[in-house]
Amino acid sequence: MMQKKFDFDKLEIELPDSISKIERRKFLKMGFAITGLLLGGKILSLTSVVDKGYAFQKEKYPYKPHYSMLIYQNRCIDCELCMEACSKTNQVPSYGYRTTILQRKMPQAIDQQIEFIPVLCNQCNRPPCVTGCPTRATYKDKRNGIVMMINKKCIGCKTCMTACPYNARYYNEEKHAVDKCDFCYGSRLSKGLTTTACAEVCPAGVRIFGDLSDPNSEIFRMVHQLERTIWVLRPESGAAPNVFYTRG
Amino acid sequence: MKNLKNLNVLIFVLICIISLILPNVEVTKAEDIIIYTKPVKAVSFNHKAHSEDYGISCNICHDKIFQMEALNVEKSNDFNHRSFSKGKYCGACHDGKKGFAMDKQCTKCHIGVKGLNTKAKK
Repeated sequence: MMQKKFDFDKLEIELPDSISKIERRKFLKMGFAITGLLLGGKILSLTSVVDKGYAFQKEKYPYKPHYSMLIYQNRCIDCELCMEACSKTNQVPSYGYRTTILQRKMPQAIDQQIEFIPVLCNQCNRPPCVTGCPTRATYKDKRNGIVMMINKKCIGCKTCMTACPYNARYYNEEKHAVDKCDFCYGSRLSKGLTTTACAEVCPAGVRIFGDLSDPNSEIFRMVHQLERTIWVLRPESGAAPNVFYTRG
Repeated sequence: MKNLKNLNVLIFVLICIISLILPNVEVTKAEDIIIYTKPVKAVSFNHKAHSEDYGISCNICHDKIFQMEALNVEKSNDFNHRSFSKGKYCGACHDGKKGFAMDKQCTKCHIGVKGLNTKAKK
């Protein structure tokens, strides 16, 4: 390949006058796009994002019902009855889990020094696992927003397991497919029950399961209170999860 | 002579019986930390701290609130938070005045399955 030759002596010096308005505008636009000003302050917040907070947007519940879970983090006592119920209901083998409990230790804290955090599939609105799947074995259900699996399409490449920000997937050797939480859709919801096995069995009322698109549901009323702090795990992943956390 | 032999056998048998009964009769000291696994796994109760560090005399809890035998209370059906809030069991002291309240700081007592497993390893 021939190298293009530059005659450096003949190159014009770029002064502010020599740059056209259009060129300048293009450059500024690029800068704004990078800093996130054009995207409404989503990347680097230079503009207000108060009314863009996820739970307060108006047209953000595209599913009916829009299944979701609220977790009272401070109530969890790690009795693991939820895990037992889940394994029993959904035939989860001992080497995997659909839901588990993490613990955070704070030895320097006053009073209680340990906190248990229940985790499960967050049924993201922009699921990285679905984006990553090469065979469309996992998909976002258009009716209720649950991220489901078609076992026979799964080739076991585990791309979804790598993509998942919540580590909520495991490879099930009996099914020859990756398995995950489906909010008990297969085992309970599709059979007319209204709640998940884990939420039903919890003795401390940690897990509130419900329809976020229904303004009369408990979860809608809890999530949309200004007084209550609501957060999600790993918001930086941009996956728009549907499992919310709070204390109280 | 025959009588004496019989006596020897009798004494031997008696010693055997006593040695069988003795360990059960002997007052066993409670463990420093008692771990309850019912109705939920698992709750840690520091018996040593309550009896020695906090200076609570035995008769405050025993035998009216808790029986002497550790973990015996697990057999009662109402050993749960609903009863505690009515002032039973742990709730007799942990009402927010004498002891810390029971609707907060759950993991001060509840060590969970993870806590139980780490205690079992030690």
